[in-house]
Amino acid sequence: MSEKLQQIINKQQIQDDPSLTDLDDIVQLVGFVIGDEEYSVPILSIQEIIKPISWTRVPQTPNYVLGVFNLRGSVIPLIDLRMRFGLREQKHTEDTRFIVIKDEDEVAGFVIDRLTEAIRLSKRDIGPAPEAAQTSDTMIEGVGKQKDKILTILKVAKLLERTF
Amino acid sequence: MDEFEEILQDFLVEAFELLEQLDQDLVELENAPEDLELLNRIFRVAHTIKGASSFLNFDVLTHLTHHMEDVLNKARHGELVLDADIMDVVLESIDLMKALLITIRDTSKDQGVELGDIVSRLDKISGGDGDVPAPVVEAEATPSPQAVKAASTEEEIDYSELSEDDIEAEIQRLLVERQESDKAKRAAKKAAGESVPEIPDTPSSEPEKSSALAPVAAPVVAKKVEPKSDDSKAPAPAAKATVVEQTIRVDVKRLDHLMNLIGELVLGKNRLIKINDDVEERYEGEEFLEELNQVVSIVSLVTTDLQIAVMKTRMLPIGKVFNKFPRMIRDLSRELNKKIELVIDGEDTELDKSIVEEIGDPLVHIIRNSCDHGIEMPAVRAAAGKPELGIITLKAYNEGNHIVIQIDDDGKGLDADMLRTKSIEKEIITEKEADNMSDKEAFGLIFKPGFSTAAQVTNVSGRGVGMDVVKTNIERLNGIIDIESKVGVGTEMKLKIPLTLAIIQALLVAVQEEFYAIPLASVLETVRISKEEVYTVENRSVMRLREEVLSLVHIGDIFEVERIFDHNEYSYVVVIGLAESKLGLIVDSLVGQEEIVIKSLGEYLKGIEGIAGATIRGDGGVTLICDVAALMQMATTVKSTVAISGGDDDEPTEKNKPSDYKVLIVDDSKTDRLIMSKSLAPLGITLVEASDGLEALNILKSGEHSFDGMLIDIEMPRMDGYTLAGEIKKYSKYKHIPLIAVTSRTGKADRMRGVEAGMVEYITKPYSPDYLMSVVKRNIKMTMEA
Repeated sequence: MSEKLQQIINKQQIQDDPSLTDLDDIVQLVGFVIGDEEYSVPILSIQEIIKPISWTRVPQTPNYVLGVFNLRGSVIPLIDLRMRFGLREQKHTEDTRFIVIKDEDEVAGFVIDRLTEAIRLSKRDIGPAPEAAQTSDTMIEGVGKQKDKILTILKVAKLLERTF
Repeated sequence: MDEFEEILQDFLVEAFELLEQLDQDLVELENAPEDLELLNRIFRVAHTIKGASSFLNFDVLTHLTHHMEDVLNKARHGELVLDADIMDVVLESIDLMKALLITIRDTSKDQGVELGDIVSRLDKISGGDGDVPAPVVEAEATPSPQAVKAASTEEEIDYSELSEDDIEAEIQRLLVERQESDKAKRAAKKAAGESVPEIPDTPSSEPEKSSALAPVAAPVVAKKVEPKSDDSKAPAPAAKATVVEQTIRVDVKRLDHLMNLIGELVLGKNRLIKINDDVEERYEGEEFLEELNQVVSIVSLVTTDLQIAVMKTRMLPIGKVFNKFPRMIRDLSRELNKKIELVIDGEDTELDKSIVEEIGDPLVHIIRNSCDHGIEMPAVRAAAGKPELGIITLKAYNEGNHIVIQIDDDGKGLDADMLRTKSIEKEIITEKEADNMSDKEAFGLIFKPGFSTAAQVTNVSGRGVGMDVVKTNIERLNGIIDIESKVGVGTEMKLKIPLTLAIIQALLVAVQEEFYAIPLASVLETVRISKEEVYTVENRSVMRLREEVLSLVHIGDIFEVERIFDHNEYSYVVVIGLAESKLGLIVDSLVGQEEIVIKSLGEYLKGIEGIAGATIRGDGGVTLICDVAALMQMATTVKSTVAISGGDDDEPTEKNKPSDYKVLIVDDSKTDRLIMSKSLAPLGITLVEASDGLEALNILKSGEHSFDGMLIDIEMPRMDGYTLAGEIKKYSKYKHIPLIAVTSRTGKADRMRGVEAGMVEYITKPYSPDYLMSVVKRNIKMTMEA
């Protein structure tokens, strides 16, 4: 047990390494997986993360808009990010989560395949979106470089923008 | 500065209220010019506004009201008889006054409204020579810079920051100035041979509201009134006279917020009732249920009362709208040279504030229309044997959850044939459509944009716009328009409007697995029909409803509901009506009536055609609310697949051999499953096994098999038999599958629960193989032998 604890503490110390202590330069993100890719959004844009609950279909919407659900009395749209990204529909699993994202007055729930972790990245490690994706309607805010992998950071405002 | 703003706001609110009353009184006055009481009241209003506006340095307004006051004062003293011509001038000046007040409200200045002409006319009436120096120049030239600023700009001196002495000094200075200018004016008047009762009588209600100014202002008022009160009847209590009841002014926003909160509470209440029902079912006979029941009843009762109470605070008497019509009728009848009398009834009937605001415009258009097209010229009326005086009746009354506003006239009535011909001429409808139209539908043509029967466009109507506005506004309120008319006798128009907009009664309907809420205000009736009753005319489904032909549309076609399974023999038609049109909406079943609170779908999903919003149901789920107006629109374009018979393709697949029959065995004990399959083996039917409710449900939902029957054990892990049965019954696709309980629970209560859950048979273990076989055979309707 104490060994595990030690591990966690070590991990935290790694995350707290001196290059990441200047708060102004830190971006905190929440990572999640859709299909085979890892994406992330700024932690401050996330209102909450919940396990899947039932929703109601809304007609005359694109297939990625699953419908609306009741979040403690508010009616909130539910968008399947798999389908939004052009992947095939998949049954919800134990790991499926709804991420409720907020940008100013806009709120929507997004279905993701699985959560990964909270990530602290230095601004220096975030590059611009790949050139191919640098059109005006790209959903990619930038690309974060981690030790062993890269991470796509999504544009919250774009996610919440109605495109139909 | 804040105080000034505050006083200004109060002044405006009061002034507008007074004006509304004034209009009505003046029209009444014309009919009874000798009514001193009425005259006094009108005079007081003009006087109060004059006093307050001069206090606030609105010189143009003061100038105008001052001259009105002169005229009225003369009338009051019997020196002048108010005839129609004088009345015209007076009414016109009141309109100007309104315009001025609106300008003040919008800009805090009283400039930009031209009144030289009207003032000189007023002056002439009151005996002057009509040569009135414009006071604007005079007044603006004299006041100190501060005073001008105070009246006209936002960044004036902050009185609250001045020391008390400074304020005193300032007021004294302004006072002297005022008196001087008054003196000058009076001098000018005297020169014109006039007695001028002019006291800028500051209404006491104004200064009292401003705490900083009050102590200083009070003596000012006293000073002004005492020495100059030369008019004994000049009523200081003018302001008080309008406030008969004790009231508090509340910001509408606060009421809206309160209404929203109540909405949430209503949803909570619905939820509580649902949970209470569930609990009751599960713990039947337990003692605590009684208490829970009581609490739930009280909460729901209080919530309902609270809701009504809050709704009432938002209610305004419709008289507020009706009040402006006598004046309108008077003006119109003079303009059109007709004799028209307006009879108003039920002006105390109350309506939600937001509706009162919306209803004004449509009524104006309807009444204008009645005056212009309805009531005939006096000569024509006389020739037709009617009294020359045409009567328009405007009445309001409650009818259930609606308020009905009825506008009747005894004019020439609507001629359905003429309406049809005109519409064809204007290419609003085709000849074919015209032929199929009932008279009532033809009356509805007057609401079509671009339609007008007037031979020529007059000032009053004939542009073909007004009635279209009526329709749009009434639709927005979810209201219904009903027209009855008889040529030569008159027209009767009824506007049926729901009492409130935020919390509504709705009819819940189901199509496949989905639910939709239809505002009950728009539901006229519901009918159960069989497929034989649906006819197809030109690719549109219609049905005969009594003597009418009703077009039909399936709600599933509008909302793109996938129709996986076919319907029962019967469907339900919800007849919805809006404004003047009707439509039959086919649904699979009617769920019931519920009180719902409209919530928006948010920015992301707003403006979805056919959906007005969403509500949260008692079970916590979200149900979409139909936008009836949009449905009507969509129904005309949606490709109809009403055929209730639907796709009968997969259901009754021919059963040729015993193995075509499939039965699902649900039991957690392997032994029991074995016993059952052994017992049923002689039948030769196909058997599928599941070890608990959840597994059974998944097998069922996977759609791999189509079962003719199910044998269900009651006690199982994960999901028991009752729950399973309940779940299955939720899907209309599987509703018809016979469920047979096979259990060792033998109590009567268990049996009852089984029946409630939808089990058709109840077999207790142990059982004989033959018995099981016969029960199964009977229930899957197997006719052949193995």
